[in-house]
Amino acid sequence: MPTVDVDPDELRALTGTEKGDDELIADLFALGLEFEGRTEEDAFELEFAPDRLDRLSVEGIARSLRYQYGDARGVHVPGTNAPEWTIEVEPSVPGERPYVTGAVIRGIDLDEDGLESLIQLQEKLHATMGRGRAKGAIGIHDLTMLKGAAAGDGEPTIRYVGVGPDDDRFVPLDSDAELTPGEVLEEHPTGRSYADLVGEYDRYPAIYDDLGLFSFPPVINGRRTEVSTDSRELFVEMTGTDQWTVDKMLAIVCYALAARGATIEEVRVEYADGPAYESVGTELVRPELSTKTKTVAHDRIETILGIELGPEEVIDLAERSGLDAERVPIDDGVGDDGVGDGSRSSTEDGVGDGTALVYEVTIPPYRVDVLHPVDVIDDLGRAFGFNELEPEYPDVGTVGGRHGRSRLEDAARTTLVGLGFEDLLNFHMISEAENFDRMALEPDDDAFGAAEPATIKEPYSEEYTALRTWTLPSLLMVLENNTHRAYPQDLAEIGFVANVDDAENTGVAERRSVGAVLARHDAAYEDAKSRLAALARAFGATLETPPTDHPTFIDGRTAAVVIDGEEVGVVGELHPRVLVEHDLEVPVAAFEFDLAAFE
Amino acid sequence: MQLPQAQAAVLEAASAREAQSIDELAAATELPPETVTGAAFGLEEAGLVTVSERVEEAVTPTDEGIEYAERGLPELRLYEAASDVGAGDEPVPMGQVIGAADLEGAAVDIALSNYARKGYGTIDGGEITADPAVEPDADPEARTLDSLAEGGAVSGLDGESLEALERRGLVDRSETTVRELTLTEAGVTALMEGVEVAETVGRLTPALLTSGEWRDVEFAEYNVGADAERIEGGRVHILRQTAERVKDVLVGMGFREMEGPHVDADFWINDCLFMPQDHPARTHWDRFALADPTHIEELPADLVEAVERAHREGVGEDGEGYHSPWDEEFARALALRGHTTSLSARYLSGHEIGGLEPPQRFFSVEKVYRNDTLDPTHLLEFFQIEGWVMAEGLSVRDLMGTFEEFYAQFGITDLEFKPHYNPYTEPSFELFGTHPTTGELVEIGNSGIFRPEMLEPLGVDCDVMAWGLALERLLMLMYGFEDIRDIHGTLCDLDLLRNTEVTY
Repeated sequence: MPTVDVDPDELRALTGTEKGDDELIADLFALGLEFEGRTEEDAFELEFAPDRLDRLSVEGIARSLRYQYGDARGVHVPGTNAPEWTIEVEPSVPGERPYVTGAVIRGIDLDEDGLESLIQLQEKLHATMGRGRAKGAIGIHDLTMLKGAAAGDGEPTIRYVGVGPDDDRFVPLDSDAELTPGEVLEEHPTGRSYADLVGEYDRYPAIYDDLGLFSFPPVINGRRTEVSTDSRELFVEMTGTDQWTVDKMLAIVCYALAARGATIEEVRVEYADGPAYESVGTELVRPELSTKTKTVAHDRIETILGIELGPEEVIDLAERSGLDAERVPIDDGVGDDGVGDGSRSSTEDGVGDGTALVYEVTIPPYRVDVLHPVDVIDDLGRAFGFNELEPEYPDVGTVGGRHGRSRLEDAARTTLVGLGFEDLLNFHMISEAENFDRMALEPDDDAFGAAEPATIKEPYSEEYTALRTWTLPSLLMVLENNTHRAYPQDLAEIGFVANVDDAENTGVAERRSVGAVLARHDAAYEDAKSRLAALARAFGATLETPPTDHPTFIDGRTAAVVIDGEEVGVVGELHPRVLVEHDLEVPVAAFEFDLAAFE
Repeated sequence: MQLPQAQAAVLEAASAREAQSIDELAAATELPPETVTGAAFGLEEAGLVTVSERVEEAVTPTDEGIEYAERGLPELRLYEAASDVGAGDEPVPMGQVIGAADLEGAAVDIALSNYARKGYGTIDGGEITADPAVEPDADPEARTLDSLAEGGAVSGLDGESLEALERRGLVDRSETTVRELTLTEAGVTALMEGVEVAETVGRLTPALLTSGEWRDVEFAEYNVGADAERIEGGRVHILRQTAERVKDVLVGMGFREMEGPHVDADFWINDCLFMPQDHPARTHWDRFALADPTHIEELPADLVEAVERAHREGVGEDGEGYHSPWDEEFARALALRGHTTSLSARYLSGHEIGGLEPPQRFFSVEKVYRNDTLDPTHLLEFFQIEGWVMAEGLSVRDLMGTFEEFYAQFGITDLEFKPHYNPYTEPSFELFGTHPTTGELVEIGNSGIFRPEMLEPLGVDCDVMAWGLALERLLMLMYGFEDIRDIHGTLCDLDLLRNTEVTY
């Protein structure tokens, strides 16, 4: 889960509290921010679930604490000034990354901590909502270093365009050399990290002002507009693959900067005509800080929380969550003029018969996690305190039971244990070398266990590249790892095996296989056969063992396991080459068959 | 008097005047010493002998000690070789002497250090001298070692030499208890009156039983306190036992077991759970995508459409969807399931065992696969306990009450519910419980009420609350294991599996 570093003194200052660290940590836990430890600079390292992205900065956490403490109530939207600047989007912009948003920030006073917090917020938003900058990337610039085009009506403009990899040059951050975008991807460390994001593009995204190229989103900004603690005015631009996503990221950044006393100034975004802009329009004014509403039914709140609440309590809980709630009586067709004003015979909620009590809840623009009224109910529950609720065993009667397959597996396992086998539980993933090569088996042999394995794409580890097609390789690995332990080692496993099978909907046949090995100084075919026969008898099955060949076993000491007339497995003495391959110095008799034979 | 054969023999061999040791009596009676010991205790119990014990020190040469007893101590061999080449008169080169002494390897260092310690001469600048005044035959360590090697008694040996030999690892000193028997007056009387040997049998045989002879025989006594052969019976794997216990508890609480594919389409694993397709958990690094086969053959078309709509538009009058791409081809990709919530989705959809009417309770305790780093508490595949309850009007209090009942069965009480975020549940809680032995607060599960965006496309129009928990975590809490790799998988330690105390 993501973490965010927060300086407790800054948090206290922005929250307006004098609480000690321990109290703060407890209050943060109640918000769902878990204290993980301290950084080298003594800041809190907080872990949080990735829903409340507005809490990715100390400003956002302080805002949540102020609501928790009751120092703030309801929805607050920062004011904005009318736009001066325009972002003009030219048709040359890469079709993969057509969207942009922006805002001008004035009167910001960033000290080291403030700048650090802003950079952290930018990075954390990149990592979460921005999906590693693929979906949305943030560029923050020192406005005073920008020169807007004075053409036409004289309004300052920057242009979002597409350029060929080597069509232009600029000096990127952390560099002294003028590089083309193509060179940045090859030579600059940051460029190399994000090269994959734009590598396939014909034209690269680029932002220009009057002086030229100053930003190469989503990769790197130019050095000219770098933000420092001396910056007092900022230009924030965000580009991405989805308008809503970049607008929400911008809203979160604007709220954080407004909390530091900055003034937000709007920016015009002018798109060229194109299918990508049909749903968003060609003339936008950003940032988008409008609120939205959700209609939440009172009875649904009471049902989910399992408690009764008065309407005033609901409204209070909403305001303590940073939301606004207003009662909206909706006529459900049964009543006539009931509006929940208490004039009619009422329920405990003071709601008239025939009308359902419903709230219109206003959601501030920084909340990216509220998709459905149920999310509002969760907020109300958090404000109420979920741990205040009394657990209650649900009064719901159902009949329990095991799945037939798991009962069969259990019965066979109990029988094997009764025959003296140590029951094992091995991994279903294996390497093809273990599954085949070390068993002297080939996938296309005509032998039990040989089958096309379901394989893992780009496996992380050489040891786990496929699903095992049979269990004996796993049992041999256990024997190999336990040669220092006392013999006899009689091991069995009833476990999952799988192989590619076009007849299945998933393309994979999954089975339970019964594997057993007897490793002891005098292990012989008969030892395996007698136990196999005992197992078959226990399940009332008819066992036959006609001779067969199997590369894992010794010729002439190997039989097919035929249960009720169907060939379902193999039994025999393991071939010395398999034993030696597994560093074993005792003979091993073994069997394996498909558990379905007992169904 | 009738006595068992061994007791009669020992009684006859024992003396009233002179105490005799078990070994001496064993030699006299030609019985194994352990039989004599057994007989001695039997006779003592009958008051016929007294058994006294004394501690005797035994000193035995080690293999190295025996070798030196035969070939001479290395420093003595060095001294003799040095003397032979005239080092008594003037220094001679070391190499020459060592060769002549037939020393090599570690023996060279041993020879040189003891040579110096005993003052046999000087070793300086690669040359060696031999002090002519030394009498090698009188070396006390050599004499003591020789005496021991010939089986000589310990008493009377030079204590200082013994200690030196022990330090050099040439002898092992140990203490043994020697038991000695003396006839009591009653014993003498019994002997004088005559002792008969009762017929004893070692084994009760079918022949003895059928013939009735068992009535006339005496059974040889066993040393019933002695260790018996160690055997390892079969037992059910402890993780499996834990799984069975969980299943018992859940069945007792009215849950039915689910079953379904380990290799499944992302559609069932993630899309049905309202997980956006660009969610970080759906990237390659967290999951095991399949290279072969790659995609599921068929998905229910109406369900695909409903799920896609929920992702894009949300559900309900003012619901919203995700601003993320949604592609059916992506949903059809196969992977090893990262959670068994894929089974819940299949069952809830009605495509597994038909449409379900509330109320219902379902569970599974099955493997899931996560591309994590292997360490003492993380495996690439582990068991997930999955459970859900479907009913009208469920509340978070019902959810809390269900968990309290479940975890109480495993001794975990005082649950705490930390509000949490999951894409497919709201409200969501992480569950924390107090560790039964250490008292720490540990995370024991994740839970919530399934979101409408998950349930509506699946065709469920009542509430469903659900939770998940790693079985291995419960196992480690119950047994106190520290490294899960010792238990689960091919690196398991058979001794640990064989010797873990039964928990029930």
